[in-house]
Amino acid sequence: MNTTPNVWQEVMRGMKTWARLNSPWVLHFNTGSCNGCDIEILATLTPRYDLERLGVRLQASPRHADILLCTGAVTRQARDRLVRIYAQMHEPKCVVAIGSCALSGGVFQGCYNVLGGIEDVLPVDAYIPGCPPRPEAVIDGVVKLLDGLRARGRQGKADSQ
Amino acid sequence: MNPLAALFALLIFPGGLSLLAAGLVYEWVDRKLLAGLHNRVGPRWFQPLADALKLLVKEEVVPEGVNQALFIGLPLVALAGALSAAVYVPLAGLAPVHSFPGDLIVVLYLLSLLTLGMGLAGTNTLDRFSLIGATRTLTQVFSYEAPFLMALLGAAVVAGSLSVSEICAYAGEHWLILTQPLGFVVALIGLMGKLEMPPFDAPEAHTEIVAGALTEYSGRGLAFFHLGRSVELVVGLTLVAAVYLGGLSSPVWFAVKTLALLLVMVGLQALLARLRIDQTVGLWWRYGALLVLVQWLVLILIQRS
Repeated sequence: MNTTPNVWQEVMRGMKTWARLNSPWVLHFNTGSCNGCDIEILATLTPRYDLERLGVRLQASPRHADILLCTGAVTRQARDRLVRIYAQMHEPKCVVAIGSCALSGGVFQGCYNVLGGIEDVLPVDAYIPGCPPRPEAVIDGVVKLLDGLRARGRQGKADSQ
Repeated sequence: MNPLAALFALLIFPGGLSLLAAGLVYEWVDRKLLAGLHNRVGPRWFQPLADALKLLVKEEVVPEGVNQALFIGLPLVALAGALSAAVYVPLAGLAPVHSFPGDLIVVLYLLSLLTLGMGLAGTNTLDRFSLIGATRTLTQVFSYEAPFLMALLGAAVVAGSLSVSEICAYAGEHWLILTQPLGFVVALIGLMGKLEMPPFDAPEAHTEIVAGALTEYSGRGLAFFHLGRSVELVVGLTLVAAVYLGGLSSPVWFAVKTLALLLVMVGLQALLARLRIDQTVGLWWRYGALLVLVQWLVLILIQRS
């Protein structure tokens, strides 16, 4: 549609963006990590850092989640599962790569069984470097991702449907 | 009752919109108090609203191999059941909007619609986790439902009526928590089983079976199930508070009572670990049902003498 949006559509879009920003449910998938980053993600979700104050909840089903947290370099075995889990998630969805290996393959780069970072397989929205990243870094990454989504929502791109 | 007043009662107050709002508020209180007991900050006050809105605007996909009509219809039935149960209970401590002899049974069946809807929704999909979750949900229905019903029937026996409003009138003169403590305990814990709160959350155990019966649901369907659960929390708390804690009263005092009940439930949630499904069934039929039967025996003996 090329018509300029009216006030009602603006309000609806604002509400959608607000709800999506304030209720990011995450799904955690290990694509071939050494478990260091996974432990840090779990530490982030524990009461000490308490991501529920930002509305983040860990979901077990890809159908319920909005954000896919990937840790580790993508191995050849994990690739198909990763793509399938991404396909099972419903729009709108985001991918966050956590840890050095997820960014580039890290120390596993060039291994016979490793494809590389997450971005070689899926479109990544946020990168959180570190080996492993501290919980503060994970929270910072989530906040930056939400800021990016807010900017996208303002431009009206978040709502592709 | 004229049609306009009936519509207002159904859609605005005490049913419909205000009930949904109350459901979101109670869900927030539940999560916030639980967070307090976990020693963390907890969700912000608008969190349940943001969750519900986000799910409502999320893409909904009907997976392969399901009956489409059931997949789309069951969340509606579940939410409608929870919402219509509210017509017969004294929400906010005011007299029920509608009342007829025997509506206590109708309320309990309407409240079960949510659980039955979740069970059917789980069996409707091909996913194995949904199926296991649905089996557990339905098994749990058969374990807590009868003791819960029997506990509330204890109140009906002393009030001499199966109508919620007459039980409330009786409960206004006698605090049934003092005369029927066993029934109160079973009813409160039965409510926790109905809402699948932590000791009884085997049906949706995230660490075992993904998300139980609702694994394949997203978007609108999931939002309706969540809203239905929030509404059921309010309706169930209202029912238990009205029957056991002194019937009808002023809205503020009544809110204090329901929040006190919620606090007890939150404490139990934080305190107890998840029961296996066979332990749940064992708990209800070995102890829950037995406690209620003892309660009935005492009531019948006292009434005879």
